[in-house]
Amino acid sequence: MTAVLELNGISKAYGEDVALDALSLSLGQNEYMALLGPSGSGKSTLLRVIAGFEKPETGEVLLNGKPITNMPAHERGIGFVSQGFALFPHMTVFDNVAFGLRFREVNAVTNASEVERRVGDMLELVGLAELGDRAIGEISGGQKQRVALARTLVADPKVILLDEPLGALDANLRARMRGELRRIRKKLGISFMHVTGNEQEALAMGDRVAVLDTGRLAQISDPDTLFNRPASSRVARFLNCYNIFAGNERAAISGADSEATRDGEYCIRFDKIHVAPVSDVTDVGKASVIATYITSEYSGPSIMYFFKGADEKVLEVEYHLSHRKPEEFVAGAKYSLQWAVGDELIFDGSE
Amino acid sequence: MTNSSDIAKEEDRRTKRITLALLTPGTLWMLLFLIVPMLMMVYVSFWTQTTFTIVPTLTLKSWITFFSSDTYFGALLTTGRIWLTVLFLTIIIGYPVALFIGLFIKNKTIQTVVLVLCVIPFWTSFLIRVLAWRPMLGKEGAVNIVLEKIGLITHPIEMLLFTEFSVVIGMTQIYVVFMVGPIAFMLARIDQSLIEAARDLGANTWRIFRTIILPLSMPGVVVGAIFVSVMVLGEFATSGALSGRKVNLLGNIIVTQVGSLKWAFAAVVGVILTAVMAVVVAGLLRIVDLRKEL
Repeated sequence: MTAVLELNGISKAYGEDVALDALSLSLGQNEYMALLGPSGSGKSTLLRVIAGFEKPETGEVLLNGKPITNMPAHERGIGFVSQGFALFPHMTVFDNVAFGLRFREVNAVTNASEVERRVGDMLELVGLAELGDRAIGEISGGQKQRVALARTLVADPKVILLDEPLGALDANLRARMRGELRRIRKKLGISFMHVTGNEQEALAMGDRVAVLDTGRLAQISDPDTLFNRPASSRVARFLNCYNIFAGNERAAISGADSEATRDGEYCIRFDKIHVAPVSDVTDVGKASVIATYITSEYSGPSIMYFFKGADEKVLEVEYHLSHRKPEEFVAGAKYSLQWAVGDELIFDGSE
Repeated sequence: MTNSSDIAKEEDRRTKRITLALLTPGTLWMLLFLIVPMLMMVYVSFWTQTTFTIVPTLTLKSWITFFSSDTYFGALLTTGRIWLTVLFLTIIIGYPVALFIGLFIKNKTIQTVVLVLCVIPFWTSFLIRVLAWRPMLGKEGAVNIVLEKIGLITHPIEMLLFTEFSVVIGMTQIYVVFMVGPIAFMLARIDQSLIEAARDLGANTWRIFRTIILPLSMPGVVVGAIFVSVMVLGEFATSGALSGRKVNLLGNIIVTQVGSLKWAFAAVVGVILTAVMAVVVAGLLRIVDLRKEL
C-alpha cells in the first residue's frame, strides 16, 4: 500500500502539556483510518496539525512524498470537516458547498454553470439534491453533516479529515451516517482519517484503527486484531469491553495451566467469562477468579452482570442472550468467574 | 363529560384573564405616554398661533411657514447631511475597532475590559465631553498650536471650531461607541471554526472578510446605525455648543421655538423629526431581519 499521507516524529506541546509526542503514522491510498483515543489523547491536535491549523514543534508531514509541514492550510489539498460542521449560517446549502469552488484564492471556478454542475453532483452524492435552496437553519443535524462533507469533497481533496463527525448526531442517525460515510468514500476512492472517542465507531468504520494514548501511538491494526488482541492493557481499557485486573498475587487465579495463571495484568473480555458456583472445581483448560456478585443490567440482546473482585474493582460479565440463558445470582454471594485458557491476555507489570 | 368540558372552559377563561392582566399595564403606558402625546403633537401642529397665545382653531399656517422658510427647511437638510456624515464616520471608525475587539481579542475577559475602556469617557458629563472640544479645536487651541509648532501651517486654521466640521467631530466622538458595541457583540459571536473552514476551503483573508465576517456582522452594524441615527437626528446640544449657533438642526429649532412659547411651530418640527426617524429606522431594519439574526 502506497502512503498518501505520512507523519514523521510529530511533536507538539501547549506549555507543559504534551499533546503529541514524536508520533509517526502513515495513511494509505484509498484507506479509511479511524483514530481512536480518549479526550486529551492528542487526536484533535494531530488532525489540526495535518490540516495545517497548527504547526508541530518537530517532525514533518508528507503528502504524496512531498513535505507540507509549513504549507498554509488551503494549499495542502486536505479537506477538513470540523466537529460542529462549521457551515456558513447566512448562506444556502448550495452556496455553502459552492464556497470553495467560487472563492478559493488559487484556481477558482468562475464559470457559473460548472459550479452548478459540480455542486449539483456533490449534493446528489450525499443525497441532498433537493435541498440546495434551503437555508442552513432549515435542515437537520444529519443533513448538516452531509453538507459539511459535500463542501469539503467538492474541491477534490486528496485526503479528508473528519473530527468526531458523528459526535453531534443522535444514536439512530449515527448508525446511518456510518454506512453513508463508507459508501461515499468507496465511491470517491480517497483516503479518510476519522477521529473519534467512540470505540464502536472506530471498529465499525476503520480499515485500520490507530489508538492514540497521551500523544503517542499505542497500537495500529485492523479492527479485528485490535478488538481481540489489544497490544497493552491501556489499549484494552479504551475498548471498553475488557475486565482489567492484576493477578495473581492480589487476585488469586486458579487453574491447572501454570502459564495461564502467572503473575501479570489480566485482560479478559466481558463476554468470554462464565459464572459458576464457587464449589465448582476449575476444569483443565480453564482459569478462574473469585468475585462477589453485585447486580445485573438487562439491555435487550444481552445482559450484564457486575461483580466485585478481590481488589475491590468491578468485574463485568456479558451474556449474549442469543446463545446463553440469563441466570439468577444472589447479591453479596461469591462466585467463580471462569474463562477458557487462551481467552485471557496477560501483560507483564502493572501501571 | 360536562364536568371535563367545564374545566376546560374554566382553564380557557383563566388563560385569557392572565393574558389580559399581563398586557394591560404596558398597553396603558404606551397609550398614555406615547400614542396620545404623539397624536396631540400632530393636532397642535395645526393650531393657530399668535404672539403670546395659541388657540385650537385649525390652520396650515405653521406648516406653510416651515416649508417656505429657507432657515427652517434648511435645518431639515442640515440635519440630514450631518446625520449621514456622522453615520458614515461612526461606521468607518467604529467597524475596525469592533473588528479588533470582537475577532482579534480571543480572551472574553479582555474583550469585556476593552469594551468597558471604550465607555470610560461616558463617566464624565455630556456637556464636559462636548465643551472639551473647544480648547482642542479653537483658534488658539491644541490642534492649531501643534500644527504651527511643527511648521505645517503659518496661520491658525479658523474653520476648526464653530463650523459644521466641529459639530461632526464632536458627534462622531460621542456616538462612535454606540456603533462599536453592537458590532463587536456580533463579531464575537462568529464561530472561529467558520473562519478556519473558509480558510481550509482556500479563501484568502479579504474574501473571508467580505463573504463571511461582514455579512454575519451586519445585524450589529444595523443596530449600531439605529442607535446613532436616533441620537444624532434628535441632537441639539452638540450643535449648540460647538457651532456657535451657526448650525441649526431640527432639534435646535424645537428648543428655541418652545423657549419662545411657539408651541404650534415646535409641534410641526416635532412631527417632521418623528417622521424622519421613523423612515430611517424602518429603512435600516429592511437591510437585515433582526428577529431572525438575534
